[in-house]
Amino acid sequence: MNALMRRLRPGGFFWLVVHELRVATRNARRRARSTWIALILLAIFTGVGIMIGLGLRGVPIPAGPAAYTGALAASILLTSFMTTQALLRSQHSLYEAGDLDLLLTAPLPPRTILRAKLCGIAGSVVISFALLLLPIALPVAVLGHPGLLGVPALLAALSLVSACLGLAITLAIVKLAGPRAARTFGQIVGALLAGAVFLISQLLSNGGGGGRRSAAMSLFTWLRAHRVAAGGIGALPGRAALGDPVAAALLLGTALLIFAATAFLFGRTFLASYQQAGMRLSRRRAATGSVAGQFRTGLFATMFAKEWRLLVRDPALAFQIVLRLIYLAPIALAAFGHGKGPPLLPALAFASVLIAGQLVGSFAWLAVSGEDAPDLLVVAPVARAQVERAKLASAAAMAVPFGLVLPAAIALYAPLGALVTLAMTAAGGFIAGLIEIKWQKPAPRRTFARRRSGSILAALSTIIATAILGGIAAVAVWLIG
Amino acid sequence: MTQPALAITGLRKSFDKPVITGLDLEVAAGELYALLGPNGAGKTTTLRMVTGLTRPDAGSIHIFGIDALADPLAAKAVTAWLPDEPMLYDKLTPSEYLGFVAGLWRIPPAEAAPEAERLLKWLELWDSRDTRCETFSRGMKQKVALAGALIHRPRLLILDEPLTGLDAAMARAVKDALREAVDRGATVVVTTHILEVAERLADRIGIIGDGKLLAEGTLDELRAQAGSDKMTLEDAFIQLTRTPQ
Repeated sequence: MNALMRRLRPGGFFWLVVHELRVATRNARRRARSTWIALILLAIFTGVGIMIGLGLRGVPIPAGPAAYTGALAASILLTSFMTTQALLRSQHSLYEAGDLDLLLTAPLPPRTILRAKLCGIAGSVVISFALLLLPIALPVAVLGHPGLLGVPALLAALSLVSACLGLAITLAIVKLAGPRAARTFGQIVGALLAGAVFLISQLLSNGGGGGRRSAAMSLFTWLRAHRVAAGGIGALPGRAALGDPVAAALLLGTALLIFAATAFLFGRTFLASYQQAGMRLSRRRAATGSVAGQFRTGLFATMFAKEWRLLVRDPALAFQIVLRLIYLAPIALAAFGHGKGPPLLPALAFASVLIAGQLVGSFAWLAVSGEDAPDLLVVAPVARAQVERAKLASAAAMAVPFGLVLPAAIALYAPLGALVTLAMTAAGGFIAGLIEIKWQKPAPRRTFARRRSGSILAALSTIIATAILGGIAAVAVWLIG
Repeated sequence: MTQPALAITGLRKSFDKPVITGLDLEVAAGELYALLGPNGAGKTTTLRMVTGLTRPDAGSIHIFGIDALADPLAAKAVTAWLPDEPMLYDKLTPSEYLGFVAGLWRIPPAEAAPEAERLLKWLELWDSRDTRCETFSRGMKQKVALAGALIHRPRLLILDEPLTGLDAAMARAVKDALREAVDRGATVVVTTHILEVAERLADRIGIIGDGKLLAEGTLDELRAQAGSDKMTLEDAFIQLTRTPQ
C-alpha cells in the first residue's frame, strides 16, 4: 500500500482512501492472533470452494425465482451484518481512532475526509466478507459457472450501502441521544442489528408454529411466500450474482449514488458530530452525604461491589451479556409456556448448564482478564489465589439469578430433576469461571465481544465441559422423569 | 540501629539486555529519597521490583526488615505504589475507589471511612467524591490515586514520576502531600525528572545510571562528588551521569 500511496497525489481523495485501507488492514492483522490460522482457514475455504465447484461442474444453476429469492435472503442477512460492522467502524472513527484531529486540522476539505473515511469503512467491510465468501464463490465460478463472477460486484454494492447506513445511524444517534450517550447507544444498536434477523426469524418461526428454523430459512420462506424476488428490484441481487451485467451495473450504480448522496448530505453533520464527540462523555454528579457506606469488610464484599458497579455502569457491555439471554428467550418461553415431559425437560436441563457456563465465563472474563488496574491488585497485600477466588465468587454471584430460571422451570414438573440440573448448572458455571481464570489474558473491557479470538482453547474447553455436564443433567432429568 | 525502610542489595534484572546490573541502595526510615537517572537508567524497573510487580533475576529487597521476595504479602502490607499512570477504575467514584483499596488492604471500615474523608477534603476532592473518575483531568486522577496510596497509611510510599503532566497547583498539592506523609512518619521514595523537585523536597538523592547507583547523598554531598560546591543539581546530575569518553 505504501508503494501505491507514493504514486498518488498526497492529500488527494484516492491517497486518503488507500491510507484508510492501510490502517484498517493493519488493525485487522494486529488483532489476528495467528496469521497461520487465518491462512489455514483461507486454504480450507478455498478447498471447500474447489470441491463444491467440482461437484457442481456441469450442473446448471437455474436463474429463476428460487435462486433470486435465495440471493435476496442472503443479501439481507449480509447487509445486516455489514451494517453492524460499518456502524462499529463509524463509531471507531468518531470516538477511538484519534486520527480525525490530524485530518481535520490539515488543509483538506472535511467532505473529502468524510468520503475517504466512508470508502475506508466500505473497504474494510468488503474485505472481511470477501475473505469469507469469495474463496468459495470464485472457484465455483472458474470451474464452470462464470456467471458467479457477479458475486464480487454484489458484495461491493452491499458494502457501499452498508457503510452509508452505518454512518447515517451513527450520526442519527449522536443527533438524537447526544454525544454523551451516543457511544453506548451505538453499541447497543449494533448488537441489536447483528441479532435482528435472528430474533425476527425466531419470532416468525415460533409464531407460525412450524418448529424452529434457521434465520436464513425463515427469511427465505417468507420472501418466497410473498414473491418478493419474483421480478423487479427484488430480483436484482440474484440477477447480479448470477452474472447479469445490467443488474450488476444497476446495483453498483445505485450504491455509488447513495454513497455520493451520503457524503454530500452528511459532510457538515459529520464534522459537527466529531466536534461534539470531543466533549466530556459523562456528567458530573453532586456529592452528597458521608463516604462511610463505601467501606466493606472482607475481600469478597469489596471485590463484588467493585465488579458489580463496573458492570452496571457500562450499559453497552451489560447489554452484550444480556443479549445472549435475549437470544435464549425463546427457550425460556417454551419452558414456562409449554413445558411438558421429554424431550423438552432434558433439553432445558442441557440449556441451563450451557447458559450458566456462558454467563459465569463472561463475568469471570470481565473480572479477571478485563481488570482495569491489575497492578493495583499485584501491589496489594493479597495473594493472587485469594483475588482469583474472590473474582470467581463475584462472577458466580452475578450469574446466580439467571442460573436459577431454567431449574425453576424444570421444578414445576420434575423437582428432583431440577435439583440435579441446579447442581450441574452450578458445576458448569464454576468450571467455566475456572477456565477463564486459568487462561486469563489481560485485555481492555471494551474488547469483550472479541474475547474469544484471544483464547480459542478457553472457548472450546468451556463448551466441551459445559456440554458434558449439560449432557449429564439432561440424561439424569430424562431418567428421573 | 534503626532498621532501614528500604534495603536493596545486588539487584539484577535483564530483559532483552541487562537493565539493572547490581544495584545496592539503602533508604533510611522517615526520609524523602529522590531517585534520579537518565531515561532508561532503570529507575522504574527498580521500583517495580520493590513493589513486587517485576521479579528480579538476583539480589535481595528488604522493606523495614521484611524480605520482600520471601514474604511479599507482609512487605506489600506496609508499602504503597503510585505509578505515573494512575491505577484507577474510570467507572468508580473517588469514594468508591478508596473503599475498594481499603478493602484490598483490609482496613476496617470504621478506620478507613474517616481517613478517606480526611484525604478527600485535604486533596480537594470532597465535592467530587460521588463523580466518576472518567470525567476527571489527569491531575485530579493523580490525586485520587494518591489518596488511594495513602488510605492504608503506608510506612513506605513509592512514587514513579508523580508530577508528570500536572499543572502548578496540582503539583504543589502532590508535593505537599509527600512532605506531610514524611512528617507523619512515612518514608517516601520518588523518581522524578524535575530536578528542582528533588533539590527542594528530597532529604537525600540517589543517581542511577547503567543499572547501578552512580552517586548518592544530600545535595551538598552530590556537588562535592561532582567536583564543585557551586554547582546546581542539574550541573551535578549531568556531570555524574556523563558517560566516560
